[in-house]
Amino acid sequence: MSVTVSGGGTLAQVLRDGVHSDTRSAVIVVDLDGEKSISSLAELTDAHIDEIYEQPMQRVIAALQEAHTTNCERIVVVVPTTGMSGGACYAPQAALAESARILVKSAARQWGASGITVNAVAVEPHWFSIDSNISGPVAIAPRSLSNEVSPVGVVTWLCSEAARDVTGQTIVCDGGLWM
Amino acid sequence: MNARRLENRVAIVTGAGQGVGEGIARRLAQEGVTVVVAARRAETGEPVVESIRALGGRAICVVTDVSVSESVDACVASTVQQFGRLDIMVHNAFMGGIPHKLEKAQIDKHWTSMSRTGVWASLFCARAAMPHLVQSSARANGEGGGRLILITSPSGVEGSANIPLYSPAKAAQRAIAKSLAREWGEFGITVNCIGPVASSPALLTAFDRNPALQQAIEARTPLGRVGDITDDIGSVALFLASDDSSFVTGQTIICDGGSFLGL
Repeated sequence: MSVTVSGGGTLAQVLRDGVHSDTRSAVIVVDLDGEKSISSLAELTDAHIDEIYEQPMQRVIAALQEAHTTNCERIVVVVPTTGMSGGACYAPQAALAESARILVKSAARQWGASGITVNAVAVEPHWFSIDSNISGPVAIAPRSLSNEVSPVGVVTWLCSEAARDVTGQTIVCDGGLWM
Repeated sequence: MNARRLENRVAIVTGAGQGVGEGIARRLAQEGVTVVVAARRAETGEPVVESIRALGGRAICVVTDVSVSESVDACVASTVQQFGRLDIMVHNAFMGGIPHKLEKAQIDKHWTSMSRTGVWASLFCARAAMPHLVQSSARANGEGGGRLILITSPSGVEGSANIPLYSPAKAAQRAIAKSLAREWGEFGITVNCIGPVASSPALLTAFDRNPALQQAIEARTPLGRVGDITDDIGSVALFLASDDSSFVTGQTIICDGGSFLGL
């Protein structure tokens, strides 16, 4: 069995190095670039929307279809929590994250009868270079856990046979910041 | 509620030629709002305008294709030119949503129109309206002020088995609302979403084709019916447009008779 990790950046590499599974699995790291923050909506161009939202979203759709075509039993989509919290100066990125997260639910509903599970893991925004000093805080209360957080364990579990009854869910893996 | 309490406000409602947008336009007009019925076709927009005027309201139709940024810009410019202000922007227009299998979905056939009219258009409407909403808030001097309202769907929260790509387009609108709520709070502009289930033409057509669908929806809905576009959905939009909601921002109100309780 194998795990295929799609997407670029540090997070995708961490998952490529760390996630192993006893099932055929696909891990899709959304291609969300927090370095392209837009300081004011007045500066947002059609080209920005295409680059920041549209093209990455089409890649998420294509990656899900590829996972289905290659008979993956477990599919995990990794997004930042910014889609759930919103982020000032990050509207297109937040839209992308939330679109991908909710598409997971649609896919889970359609493909569940085939035994395919589709879930999301929401991680801290810094994994996607989103600056919380700009976006605003993810939550009111401070992070619960003080240790560094890695999503490898959660993603590994969702890719495993043990998670066969879990689908359409979002597991937030951020040390207890978003609750 | 006080009658015609939004007497001096000006609103644009996209997709107001029918369905939920029409209901919102009518309800706002009942409270004295001057309404710009932004419709893709004058054939649908003008009758709504005439019916609003017949009841003593003020409305005009501006033909608008929300999927084209220049068209949205022109609608806003026309509104401000004619009425001198814009206080409330409601983006309701949406096109697409045919059933499909996700694994076979084609971008051009199943996604692009929903992305353009849902996601892109939300950003177009926000961008074009923003300077005028800022002015509205400045005029309001701490009470009322600029309002952006995006019409999403319960499917944008819970996903959809029948139209899987509909849900992400609607989900994006909630994230945009939260983001802009954060960004525009300093100007006193509120940004919220409504997730309706209402007797729109699309839903009524579906009921005609499949009466069991209507029974199923009504059976799963605690209030036992689908919403009325004016009295139920329009009234929630009115609340979000009014001074009563001055401290509400970044939120989604699911207005479906209690069918979806997952927030």
